[in-house]
Amino acid sequence: MARLTIDDLRKIKEKQSSDFSLRKGGYSAKVTVHMGTCGIAAGARDVMSALTEEVTKAGMDNIIVTTSGCAGLCAREPLATVEIINHPPVRYCDLNGEKMREIFKEHILGGNPVEKYALVRGCETTY
Amino acid sequence: MAAEPKILIVDDELVVIKSAERVLKSEGYVVEGALGGREAILKIEQDSYDLVFTDLKMPEVDGITLIRWIKKSRPSTGIVIITGYPSQDTIKEALELGIIDYVPKPFTPAVLLDVTERAVEWTKGKKVEEEKMTEKFPPAMEAELERVISEYRKKPGSLIPVLQRAQEIVGYLPPMVQKKISKGLNIPIAEVHSVVSFYSFFTMNPRGDHNIRVCLGTACYVRGIEGVLGKIKETLKIDIGETTENRKFSIEGVRCLGACGLAPVMVIDEETYGAMTPRKAMEIISHYDPSVMSAAAAGAEMMDEKGE
Amino acid sequence: MEKFRKNLVLCAGTGCVAGGSMKVRDALREEIKKKGLEKDINLSLAACSGSCSEGPVLSVYPDEVFYQKLTAEDIPKLVEEHFVNERLYEKLIMREPEEKSSIPAMKDIPFFRYQVLRVLRNKGLIDPEKIEEYIARDGYQAAAKALTEMTQEDIIKVVKDSGLRGRGGAGFPTGLKWEFASKVSSDVKYMLCNGDEGDPGAFMDRSVMEADPHSVIEGMIIGAKAIGAHNGYIYVRAEYPLAVKRLQMAIDMATEMGLLGKDILGTGFDFELEIYLGAGAFVCGEETALMRSIEGKRGMPRPRPPFPAQKGLWDKPSVLNNVETLAQIAPIILNGADWYRTLGTEKSAGTKVFALTGAVNNVGLVEVPMGIPLRTIIYDIGAGMRKGRKFKAVQLGGPSGGCIPEGLLDIPVTYEDIVATGAIIGSGGMVVMDDNTCMVGTAKFFLGFTADESCGKCVPCRVGTRILLDILTDITEGKGREEDMATLEDLGRDIIATSLCGLGQTAPNPVLTTLRYFRDEYESHIRHKWCKAGVCRDLTTFWIDEKLCKACGACLRACPSKAIVGEKKVPHKIIQELCVHCRTCYETCKFSSIKILPAGFEGDPYELLGSEAKGEAKGGNE
Repeated sequence: MARLTIDDLRKIKEKQSSDFSLRKGGYSAKVTVHMGTCGIAAGARDVMSALTEEVTKAGMDNIIVTTSGCAGLCAREPLATVEIINHPPVRYCDLNGEKMREIFKEHILGGNPVEKYALVRGCETTY
Repeated sequence: MAAEPKILIVDDELVVIKSAERVLKSEGYVVEGALGGREAILKIEQDSYDLVFTDLKMPEVDGITLIRWIKKSRPSTGIVIITGYPSQDTIKEALELGIIDYVPKPFTPAVLLDVTERAVEWTKGKKVEEEKMTEKFPPAMEAELERVISEYRKKPGSLIPVLQRAQEIVGYLPPMVQKKISKGLNIPIAEVHSVVSFYSFFTMNPRGDHNIRVCLGTACYVRGIEGVLGKIKETLKIDIGETTENRKFSIEGVRCLGACGLAPVMVIDEETYGAMTPRKAMEIISHYDPSVMSAAAAGAEMMDEKGE
Repeated sequence: MEKFRKNLVLCAGTGCVAGGSMKVRDALREEIKKKGLEKDINLSLAACSGSCSEGPVLSVYPDEVFYQKLTAEDIPKLVEEHFVNERLYEKLIMREPEEKSSIPAMKDIPFFRYQVLRVLRNKGLIDPEKIEEYIARDGYQAAAKALTEMTQEDIIKVVKDSGLRGRGGAGFPTGLKWEFASKVSSDVKYMLCNGDEGDPGAFMDRSVMEADPHSVIEGMIIGAKAIGAHNGYIYVRAEYPLAVKRLQMAIDMATEMGLLGKDILGTGFDFELEIYLGAGAFVCGEETALMRSIEGKRGMPRPRPPFPAQKGLWDKPSVLNNVETLAQIAPIILNGADWYRTLGTEKSAGTKVFALTGAVNNVGLVEVPMGIPLRTIIYDIGAGMRKGRKFKAVQLGGPSGGCIPEGLLDIPVTYEDIVATGAIIGSGGMVVMDDNTCMVGTAKFFLGFTADESCGKCVPCRVGTRILLDILTDITEGKGREEDMATLEDLGRDIIATSLCGLGQTAPNPVLTTLRYFRDEYESHIRHKWCKAGVCRDLTTFWIDEKLCKACGACLRACPSKAIVGEKKVPHKIIQELCVHCRTCYETCKFSSIKILPAGFEGDPYELLGSEAKGEAKGGNE
């Protein structure tokens, strides 16, 4: 990759923001599996592989599947966040592969959050 | 061991003698003290000691003089020096006179015990140590070790990274490996050893095929890691820092794995297991070696019935 | 409190902030001032209400009107219409204020409501292995600003004015530390990051390094510019393999893209960064010891002065900052010192990350504004005690800290208030303990740690901690003597006064605070051979209260030494001679019928426990 100038930095920011904005990027959903040390130890890898398997099976290419670090609530790991276009993100807790499959079908494909596994909706506070 | 090893501590400061005595006596060694070289010689004339720990800088009869005298008149006695700020030359001289080891002053109880243990081993026929010194590693391992050493040769402050890589390659840091590193990096063996014994990450004992790391952090303590550790020790019949006879498992106690949310935690090789109970820990360990479960025997069965 | 005519609540959830919440806030403030409405209108920020797709969202109370998709440009019109003309600004009205959902919003769950993320601003949002995602969230913008628009003095001034204090333990002002090092002239200087995180019970730094490694790197670039360093190291524990991996990837990517190395972003500034793996020694958290360790030696502290700002790593001027401190830097540079001071207190500004663990329901990593009461952290964010057990103490600051009792839970979390209790904020480990924890045992646990980790260089620490540990061990084994308590206190104070480095100077804190707040437990151990928590094996008798026993057989089956007898419908009994005091029955019983009595107790248990219960009801909190 070429060395960046300050201008490039701004361009990356803009491009990346639109890539990741579901609307502008043409995506329908984004799923983040939280994989810090705690999450992995609690079984986040199983959740991730169940998810990727379902996405592949469904043959969908407009879903972003990604990972991130610790989500902070270690007691309820593994955690994952599902964001459907035009809806607030929903965070699920105490997951396993099976629950993830169910969430995939109900929430990601069907658009109905799976309330029994959900912890919270919305974003965390930053200011 | 036939009789408890007998040790003489020589130092011109009473506090050093007292603190060494305190540490060593608690481990069952027979310990006496001498305030200076003259008193030491008189004592050694009268009695025989397995080991002598001596300071170098002392008024009247200094450490080097004492060592020369012991080598001449009591050659079977093992000698370890304890010293505050050694110059490279005096250490070198002492090494040439044939001391076993070197304890930097001030020392931690762990360092002192560690050195004592090995010094005792050495005096018990010198054989064990010599075997280790000549222990051969597979050529590939040797070559890799050489490569790492030469890679770091010119970098300042490279001793710790090299030791880390060496431990990755060999699994532990026996004297032979330390010697190789000392030579390769041109750092005195005493300094290499002092670094190895200072950091808890380094081990001089071979580890088992599976290394069980048990978290001894506060959160794990509060949530009952002691019971889990007790069960593992009892079942495998080894303590922290030891390896089972069949070299299958070793147990290591770590300060905090930083996975407090899952407390109590243990890690086997690279895999982290959280929310441990004695029973769960035994189940997991038996995945690595099914015979463990039968060793856990009655107690475990009983707990199974309980069903949480 | 003043009464305002209108209360405006602006959403400060990550989604809304990314959509421009902060610009909207500034515009609102300005407009309110312009119209002279400061006395009438109160503006505050709040946790996410879950209307993220409509953000930024503003709620107006008591009108119960909600505006959506705001921009700074809309604000003058909106203020004019709603607050001057008292008409709704139809264009931006949100018709359905909140999505109909039974899933609670962040603002409804205390765990999220009380937190404000600054250090953890990217927590759970970005893929730490992709630098583009960090850049998308304003990453490296602060570095760019610092390298192009700011002088060394500018940077130092902002950091000083922000009131940021080192988050590693001592709370030394970060800006001052940088200023000292910047004023020393030297061809070589070092910018160092302490990721050693040695406190048992703390994992803030691990999480930050794993979840957002670039935020640490960016903080280091800015610090390097401020002090004039061109080389740096991140010292990380080898026990944190994932953190090491992600940091290394981050450094590699940043170097490849010209954000590290020579001529960063074409500005002509050079900064080379390397990772140095620690080898596990608690004392290496002390800055001079850590520097010795990077030099490849035994990590022993040395006396100061000279301070590391003058003579540090390889005798060159060096600055060592903690991971969390560095992660705070970029937003301070971007948003300014005043922004940083909007949270926290005068002397303890901003936010602090805590690793909340132990006997609470919500174990996790939390970031809160300084000054929040301890009780809020434990009972709201932590959702109270696990299994409904009784709170006993909260331990702050690891082996250098202390145990704080129930009676002090309402104090605000600031450096000064916590120090006044005898504990310290430390790096942010917060371990909650319930009545199953023995406080003498806890003090012994920490002393065992420090005695073992003492590097041995100075006598008070090396010998003193060992003696404290021996006395504590005696007490927990039933060999305690009345005068032990005074000895612990005297010796503890001596060790604090005479030790060479922070490890020794703080090592007695766990003993002194437990003696101060839980003296009754020491007395009970020494005088009555009774560990009421049932932890010290030699000081307990487990006894089944026949009146409560349901004869379910659970304890009987669980007992590893077959010391319990009984049958269905016949209350069980423990044969003391066979009991090994393992607690298994105590933890198994679902009816709390197993009680803990003093060692070798022969009197009437009902009488003893009855008088205890009465005493407790009378005595109340400390």
